[in-house]
Amino acid sequence: MKIRIDKKEIECDPNRSILLIARDNGINIPTLCYQEGLEPEARCRLCLVEINKKLVTSCSTYPKEGMEVLTDTEKVKKARIINAELLMPEHMEKCFRENKEHDLCRIISEMGLKEVRFNPTRKYKAELGAAVLRNNNLCINCGRCVKVCADVQATWAIDFAERAHHEHVTPYFEKELADMYCTKCGQCIAACPVGAISEREHLKEVIKVLKDKKKTVIVQTAPSIRASLGEEFNLPPGTLVTGKMVAALRKCGFKKVFDTDLGADMTIMEEAAELLERVKKGRPFPMITTCCPAWIKFMEHFYHDLVPNMSTCKSPHEMLGVLTKTYYAKQAKINPKKIIVVSVMPCTAKKFESTRPELKSMVDYVLTTREAAKLIKHFKVDFKNLKDEDFDPALGVSTGAGVIFGATGGVMEAALRTAYEAATGKQLTKIEFDQLRGMDGIKQGTIILKGKEIKFAAANGLHNARELLKRKNDYHFIEIMACPGGCINGGGQPLPFAWEKIRKRMQAIYEQDAKLPLRKSHENPVVQKIYKEFLEKPLSKKSHKLLHTKYYKREL
Amino acid sequence: MQILRKTNQKAYFKALELGQRKLIELLKLKGLAGRGGANFPTWQKWEMVMNTPSNEKYVITNADEGEPGTFKDKFIIKHNPELIIEGILIAAYVVNAKKAYIYLRGEYEYLENKLKKAIKQIKQKTGAKTEIEIVIGQGAYVCGDETAIISSIEGKRGNPRYKPPFPTTKGLFEKPTLINNVETLANVPLAILYSNWNPDLRLFSLSGNVSKPGVYELPSGTKISKLMHLGKPKNKIKAVYFGCFGGCMPYSHDIILSPEHICGKECMLGACTVIAVDENQSIVDLATNIAKFYEFESCGKCTPCREGTMRIMNLLENISLKNAKIEDLNTLQELAEVIRDTSLCGLGQTATQHLITALKYFRREFEERVKEKKNRRRIAR
Repeated sequence: MKIRIDKKEIECDPNRSILLIARDNGINIPTLCYQEGLEPEARCRLCLVEINKKLVTSCSTYPKEGMEVLTDTEKVKKARIINAELLMPEHMEKCFRENKEHDLCRIISEMGLKEVRFNPTRKYKAELGAAVLRNNNLCINCGRCVKVCADVQATWAIDFAERAHHEHVTPYFEKELADMYCTKCGQCIAACPVGAISEREHLKEVIKVLKDKKKTVIVQTAPSIRASLGEEFNLPPGTLVTGKMVAALRKCGFKKVFDTDLGADMTIMEEAAELLERVKKGRPFPMITTCCPAWIKFMEHFYHDLVPNMSTCKSPHEMLGVLTKTYYAKQAKINPKKIIVVSVMPCTAKKFESTRPELKSMVDYVLTTREAAKLIKHFKVDFKNLKDEDFDPALGVSTGAGVIFGATGGVMEAALRTAYEAATGKQLTKIEFDQLRGMDGIKQGTIILKGKEIKFAAANGLHNARELLKRKNDYHFIEIMACPGGCINGGGQPLPFAWEKIRKRMQAIYEQDAKLPLRKSHENPVVQKIYKEFLEKPLSKKSHKLLHTKYYKREL
Repeated sequence: MQILRKTNQKAYFKALELGQRKLIELLKLKGLAGRGGANFPTWQKWEMVMNTPSNEKYVITNADEGEPGTFKDKFIIKHNPELIIEGILIAAYVVNAKKAYIYLRGEYEYLENKLKKAIKQIKQKTGAKTEIEIVIGQGAYVCGDETAIISSIEGKRGNPRYKPPFPTTKGLFEKPTLINNVETLANVPLAILYSNWNPDLRLFSLSGNVSKPGVYELPSGTKISKLMHLGKPKNKIKAVYFGCFGGCMPYSHDIILSPEHICGKECMLGACTVIAVDENQSIVDLATNIAKFYEFESCGKCTPCREGTMRIMNLLENISLKNAKIEDLNTLQELAEVIRDTSLCGLGQTATQHLITALKYFRREFEERVKEKKNRRRIAR
């Protein structure tokens, strides 16, 4: 099909909206409410174009043969500016003048809007909470968070209430996110084009302890951080910055930099052993992974009948936190009370996780990728020109299995690598499980363990999790990651969100896996050492006490 | 009155006899057009729904008559509900719908029993199997929009959505859906049965500064003086509003009440609503009142309507309270035009029509009010 955009003839796909066709051809149309992968709502009315002398929203208009689209007429520009002006009053003081980097301000400066004729009117209370905070005064009712929460995460934690200009996004009965079934996955943060939703920052606290001479501050970084942190320093998406990241964190004043990959390897050892034990016992199946704290909270609210099916392993960074304050403290002869463990995670739910009472978390502060970047910028570290450094070997040796935790299907793949070899005693001929890779919502496959056919599946995005759980009895082993694509697309990752970036980060993760000499968790020498010196064997009494936890039913 | 004629269900049996295709041909011949305001040919809508393949289809009767100054549907429901039900049954037969809904305006809840009685009676007499359910609206003006009605019946928030897809292909529960106005459906049996049925006879809702407000049946194309003569205004009429969304124009005896004649002047005849405004009224105060109505009724979905109606109300309030500047009139004009051009649904697109036309024909009143600084007076409500 052929249409004309700004007098230029363009060959196009009739199933793509005018907005996307224009983007494909390098024509920039501003939009706030449209997000890749979500059905357009046409709320913000900024993506206006002129067709047949009428203004229409390009996100919800599809091409027709011979259509004449104008994106740059005076009429279009004026309407866009006035609609943007109507959205701006609340942002004038805070963002406009400080030139914050979110979509609205970028669009405004592109349009050349300098002055707003209207005064702010929104008067909402700001929210408090352990993980995700909303400031409704900055909200522009674009509905992306609502759409993500409903369509992608199938959680329906927030929706619109009231009407006209009183319309606002809120949990039911004006509750706060902290008191209800919000999973804290943070996908709404990634969706928000104006920064009205954010993580609860722990930056100040971390900076304070870093200055405290009496404390030994230790940092650990999640597998996916190395593939995304570079974006905050204007490196292209998918750049691996493992070495620079370690160097930068040392420059910030962290005494030791550990790798959460090791925690991931520990998780795998425990989880694979648990799987084999269940294979031996024959129940309870399916076994479901517990690395994702948003999924855990989701399960406790909506699927608490699955509590016996859950693996009891703590999440990797919690495991490493425990090992830091027990095993490492003993080894390095430091009083555990003087150790502060900071985790850099791609995740907002991990912030909530570390406040769970039954977990008695040994991680003191959780920072998101964005916060880590802010921290590095705070200490004025010249990130791009740093020399690569290695993790501290005490708890910093990682394998490829740990790295792929960052992408959906990775936990399953890593667990299968170890479980297969533990069960059969044979070497895996092909270490990559291709059926578990890629961006599909639900991936599945089978493997033979101890003469038994084990069916496994991995879901990413809680909507897909719900779909997968409808047929849960077909499987023996299920991995669920709350965020679409896994941790590489976590709620704490650099903004703005784009699928292209996520794909690049995923590529980087698998690239790193392929590069590492050790690619199976049980081959990790530090893991072997920990079991030999400290924990005896997977699922021993001690490891049960330290590395495992329990779950509850939570009310809706 | 034509609309009060009885058919005794003969039209339904005649429709069964004719068959679906022929019936549509008949409606095309008779020239029945939608009476909700858009004047879309009824046969065309029916044919679209009929030709969309689906095992489930619905018919919805739009009885959410929320437009200020419009009360013709209430009149029909009150005085001839059987005709509506017969129309629904015929429509359901033509498009193959097993279920029909009547979306009744919340304020008309007291008419529910009347409709229920008529449904029972007509179904008994005709033996039709179509299930007809009455859904009571909860008072939102925006639910007069067909896509908002669909959301509301589905149990969701009554928000409109963008078209296409049109309800005729993807409507209620994502199935092809026929949505017709009460007056349209009431005219269907009459058009089928009576050879002398006149498509031009419309129901005019007359209100405002007249001593005899009410529903008048007049042929489309009548001069407004004839309608005013029936309404008997006490004072000289200054302006007429064609409902809130239709805009206003200065009164003259020669205004011809037909869609073609009025649409040329930035106004819309819509559902044939005429509100007379006499010389004692201030257009500025009226505009403020109407702006308040839209500010209250906007659903909040799209930016221009949500934020714009509120800003317009604030500006107009400032003007009526005499603390505005002359530049504010330009801001008003700009905002009003953008809201009209860029809003998502009919509500927003017409919400500022009254203001645009008022600024065009009665700008002097606004300017005078801006210039007067003292003598603060409360707005007439």
